[in-house]
Amino acid sequence: AAMAPRKKITAKIKKTLPVTGPQAPTLSELMKWYCLNTNTHGCRRIVVSRGRLRRFIWILLTLSAVGLILWQCAELLMNYYSASVSVTVQFQKLPFPAVTICNINPYKYSAMKDYLSELDRETKNALETFYGFSEGKSKVRRSVGDGNSTGSELFQQIPLLKFEDFSKTVIDLHSGQKRKMEGKVFHKDSSIVNSGDSNDIIGFQLCDANNSSECALYTFSSGVNAIQEWYKLHYMNIMAQIPLETKEKLSYSADDLILTCFFDGLSCDKRHFTRFHHPLHGNCYTFNSGENETILSTSTGGSEYGLHVVLYIDEADYNPFLVTSTGAKIMVHDQNEYPFIEDIGTEIETAAATSIGMHFTRSRKLSKPYSDCTETGADIPVENLYNKSYSLQICLHSCFQKAMVESCGCAQYAQPLPAGAEYCNYKKNPNWMYCYYRLHEKFVKEQLGCQQICKDACSFKEWALTTSIAQWPSAVSEDWMLRVLSWDKGQKINKKLNKTDLANLMVFYKDLNERFISENPANTLVILLSNFGGQLGLWMSCSVVCVIEIVEVFFIDSLSIVMRRRWQKAKKWWNDRKRKQGGKPSQESELERQGHENPVCIDEDLPTFNTALRLPLPQESPLPRTPPPNYSTLRLENSSAFTEQLPDTLDVGQH
Amino acid sequence: MKLKKYFVRALHRLQKGPGYTYKELLVWYCDNTNTHGPKRIIKEGPKKKFVWFFLTLLFASLVFWQWGILINTYLSYNVTSSLSIGFKTMKFPAVTVCNANPFKYSEVKPLLKELDKLIEAALERILQPTQGDSILPLPLNSSDNISQTLDLRLWNQIPLVLIDEHDKDHPVIVDIFETNQTGPGNQTAAPPDTSNTTSEGKKYKLAVKLCNHEGSNDCIYRNFTSAAQAVTEWYILQSTSILSKVPLQERIRMGYQAEDMILACLYGAEPCNYKNFTQIYHPDHGNCYIFNWGMDEEALNSSNPGAEFGLKLILDISQQDYIPYLSSAAGARLMLHQQKSFPFLKDQGIYAMAGTETSIGVLVDELERMGYPYSDCTMNGSDVPVKNLYSEYNTSYSIQACLRSCFQNRMIEICGCGHYMFPLPEGVNYCNNEDNPGWAYCYSSLRSSIGHRQFCIDSCKETCNDTQYKMTISMADWPSEASEDWIFHILSYERDMSTNVTLDRNGIIKLNIYFQEYNYRTISESAATTIVWLLSSLGGQFGFWMGGSVLCLIEFGEIIIDSLWITIINVISWCKGLKQKRAQARYPDAPPTVSELVEAHTNLGFQHEDCRAPPSGETCREEALPPEPGTPPPNYDSLRVQPLDVLDVDSDTE
Repeated sequence: AAMAPRKKITAKIKKTLPVTGPQAPTLSELMKWYCLNTNTHGCRRIVVSRGRLRRFIWILLTLSAVGLILWQCAELLMNYYSASVSVTVQFQKLPFPAVTICNINPYKYSAMKDYLSELDRETKNALETFYGFSEGKSKVRRSVGDGNSTGSELFQQIPLLKFEDFSKTVIDLHSGQKRKMEGKVFHKDSSIVNSGDSNDIIGFQLCDANNSSECALYTFSSGVNAIQEWYKLHYMNIMAQIPLETKEKLSYSADDLILTCFFDGLSCDKRHFTRFHHPLHGNCYTFNSGENETILSTSTGGSEYGLHVVLYIDEADYNPFLVTSTGAKIMVHDQNEYPFIEDIGTEIETAAATSIGMHFTRSRKLSKPYSDCTETGADIPVENLYNKSYSLQICLHSCFQKAMVESCGCAQYAQPLPAGAEYCNYKKNPNWMYCYYRLHEKFVKEQLGCQQICKDACSFKEWALTTSIAQWPSAVSEDWMLRVLSWDKGQKINKKLNKTDLANLMVFYKDLNERFISENPANTLVILLSNFGGQLGLWMSCSVVCVIEIVEVFFIDSLSIVMRRRWQKAKKWWNDRKRKQGGKPSQESELERQGHENPVCIDEDLPTFNTALRLPLPQESPLPRTPPPNYSTLRLENSSAFTEQLPDTLDVGQH
Repeated sequence: MKLKKYFVRALHRLQKGPGYTYKELLVWYCDNTNTHGPKRIIKEGPKKKFVWFFLTLLFASLVFWQWGILINTYLSYNVTSSLSIGFKTMKFPAVTVCNANPFKYSEVKPLLKELDKLIEAALERILQPTQGDSILPLPLNSSDNISQTLDLRLWNQIPLVLIDEHDKDHPVIVDIFETNQTGPGNQTAAPPDTSNTTSEGKKYKLAVKLCNHEGSNDCIYRNFTSAAQAVTEWYILQSTSILSKVPLQERIRMGYQAEDMILACLYGAEPCNYKNFTQIYHPDHGNCYIFNWGMDEEALNSSNPGAEFGLKLILDISQQDYIPYLSSAAGARLMLHQQKSFPFLKDQGIYAMAGTETSIGVLVDELERMGYPYSDCTMNGSDVPVKNLYSEYNTSYSIQACLRSCFQNRMIEICGCGHYMFPLPEGVNYCNNEDNPGWAYCYSSLRSSIGHRQFCIDSCKETCNDTQYKMTISMADWPSEASEDWIFHILSYERDMSTNVTLDRNGIIKLNIYFQEYNYRTISESAATTIVWLLSSLGGQFGFWMGGSVLCLIEFGEIIIDSLWITIINVISWCKGLKQKRAQARYPDAPPTVSELVEAHTNLGFQHEDCRAPPSGETCREEALPPEPGTPPPNYDSLRVQPLDVLDVDSDTE
């Protein structure tokens, strides 16, 4: 009684949702059926062909076609993330870039006297001791000088040293005594070291303050480099202690630097320039920095319509040890970009007109997954210390500064301060120089990992510069030009300017063509799919439908056939055992029902036009009035397949 | 005859009504189409049928959607660029050399004498030392004899004025040669008001007074922060006016002659001289000389990289003969450009300094673009609405030429005369102070007008093939101190046939122009999407989702035509039916129509089937056979051979 409702339910389910089995009872039948009915080409040939060789060849061809499809589609997939480059040129009104101008000398030497007198005395002292060079003035001062002031402790701790041969004996600048040196030797100029006359090697030693046996020795082949490097080290030390406001005052003002200014045919003045304090170059002035939200643009190319400035380079007020060249440094950059003027600036000569023609190129790369670049730098684990948009340089400098603060406890002078850190100076961080040099060494050898962390920016603007120089002022115009410029400069100073104090600079667009190089995805999904379709169609005339067929036939149907076989076997075995035990002949009806459920046999639908067509034609039709279907061979085969199939299934059912 | 027969058959067809129904047609289509989905729909069981129907619909819509995308992509006319770098034998660029100074001062002195006197006197007045912060640096007595010797008429056409800015809000304008002080003028073209500057700012500014008409009050003061600029600007305006009256031949004569300027020339191993240069008159730089312009003879090729095989020139710019107030920079101006193009030295030119050897390594940077519709560029400028004034030089179109022509055309339109720096169209004269007293005012306002510039930018188009010469410039001192003597001696001897040294460091320039190791970088565009690409992508999509091809589309179209045919026939028969109904109302026993008869006859098999109760199970196999075993296949056939035969038979029986 309990069985009855369940049976009812299953029967109902079976009725409403008949589980139609595979298209054929056995695997080989299924395969045959598939081959005959599939939409792909080739497979059908295998079944239809007569003769083993022919069939074998067709199998081979079909398989190789499948292989080719797989290979080509894999190639297509692998090349999916490739980019194509397009270059567009647009002629338009162009935004004028920011132009940053610095004097090569950072601070007025006359104003710096108070801070640097100790250092300069020491340097002159060294020059005299090692090279026998002495200015008349300094000699007098030295003889008078007291030597033992507060700052000189520092100079004594990191003195200039002169090396004798390779014996690691050095002569100290101060004591003049010889001593043995321990520690690693770093050569800034490596080529000279092995060249015999090493008695002139000069350098300095940096020691770990906590552990005095840890020392690094820096030697230079030339005293010029050694003294400059040594001077810079101490100079940075001193400058780190001076507050920014004072430094800005010590440096040049806009009126000092910029004598005349002319942009796009109109006069401009210092209000068009923004001050920007660069740690190594002092006050720099950026033209068109976009500070008050307006970016100037040019609508005409040519030298008349660019920026035209005359700079006043006060050569007499140069620091003799820090900078050895005269002129200005300029850099053309985007308003959002930080000018790394010490790295990529262009130097401007005095007493000359430098004309810089620009050509504007904008580039854009595709970010992930096409290439490893970053759009905004937000995905890079290095904090941007500069108040400007991301660039590789910014990242590297920030990364170094971060490492510096972490390992040395203070920040390096040439880069901006991270939050909560302060610049290194000898008083607070006696160890910083050693630390800095070691760290810098590591940085250069890519041991800090900065080069790995930092990525290129995806889009960047570039101004290609063509620089040329003409003599300025010309011999005949020199006289009036200098007089008028002197009037411009001072109006009441009678002193005439010297032409070596002046530099003329023209920055202009050569043409208003903007070149835009951009990467575009070479493939889109649509194109990938149509390429797939092309491949599938070319080799096998296959489509997604075929793929579904294959899934259906090879996975669902074959599996169900196998399962059914298993089930039948198991059942048979079970029945056999039961029969052996009890001998009940119940299996026949069971099997019969199964045969009945076979979808091939089921034809519950009304015979339609279509099913009628599928029905076998009686062989001995007396009146073959209707012509055979004149189109498809397929359908004939189809129906014959069914006629063959029918007895088979019936057979199974009867067994 | 055939046509008639055909129409007769069609008429019969219409009379008889359709030989098949929509459903039959559809089933037949599904069974016989080459697209992959539909066959499945009719071949599978009811559930699968539904699934397949859904899938086919989905795939079909996918195909159409993606086709839309593909066609859109095609219509956006994208391009791909290919880059090639290397060395090949190329045409050596045309090299234009000019002197930065347009005329020999010794030649133009008579013309500019008055002007020089004026500016010297003016400078004298401006620059005289002032006593502290006194109000005016100028002695107000105009009675001194300077003003008598000066041509004040020339001065008054475009005067320089001093602007006293002691009182920021009420600047006082002081004319340099006159005593009267005018009130605050209409200052334009000046940087924004200097109210917030520090007190140490300059008290006096020099400005150029430009008036619409002489003596009129419609004046603007072009205001300069630097006196040097003001003086230069003023001098340029004045000298332009003077020189524009001088005929071209005279101007050429006053400029530097080729034999004076080009001292030595060597191209590769072959000697060349000033005769190999084409003279061209350039308004900015006077006489310019172009090497290898390719106007008369074939352009020279260079097939080797390196300075050995390039062009070597020695030039003399004779700096002592410069016009002092006109150009303050001294040197040669040179430019590399394409053959048959006009050299726009102000834009693309570079300087070469006197007393140096300038080496220029050249890389030809070419950009070859496809024209319309891929990019908005012009092949030869014929489609640009600006009259090219530079065509008188027989030069090719360039954007610079277009912009300048555009400016000149506007200038002629607005000011009534042409600017001296640009070529003239026929029948127009250059501007000068006498004939066009307001020209400087007009020119100045036109030049600074943003609207006008935008107009020219909008109307000019860039060329499709853009060639640029990337230069790597390096310099060295030349001649060296040791070799100086003999070099100057020989060069002087060769030029002037004198044993005296007539050259010096301030005038002599050596130039080396050569191809670099890689001498070209070509970016060429090709269409990213061609019609072939479009077709193969369309085919790929259709093939991928449905295994279809163009033939499938034709099949589909055929089916649509057929169903339309059915509809037409049905409609006609329905109309007939309506008529008959009316007729039946009169004669209730109407005989069956022809079409009814035919239908009954041809659709015999189906009627049988319909009559039968639906058999179930295997029994149907045997019993479902129609009485006539050879049930006609779908009468429908695109070839229409079979049905027509049947029809013929029918009509015969009638």
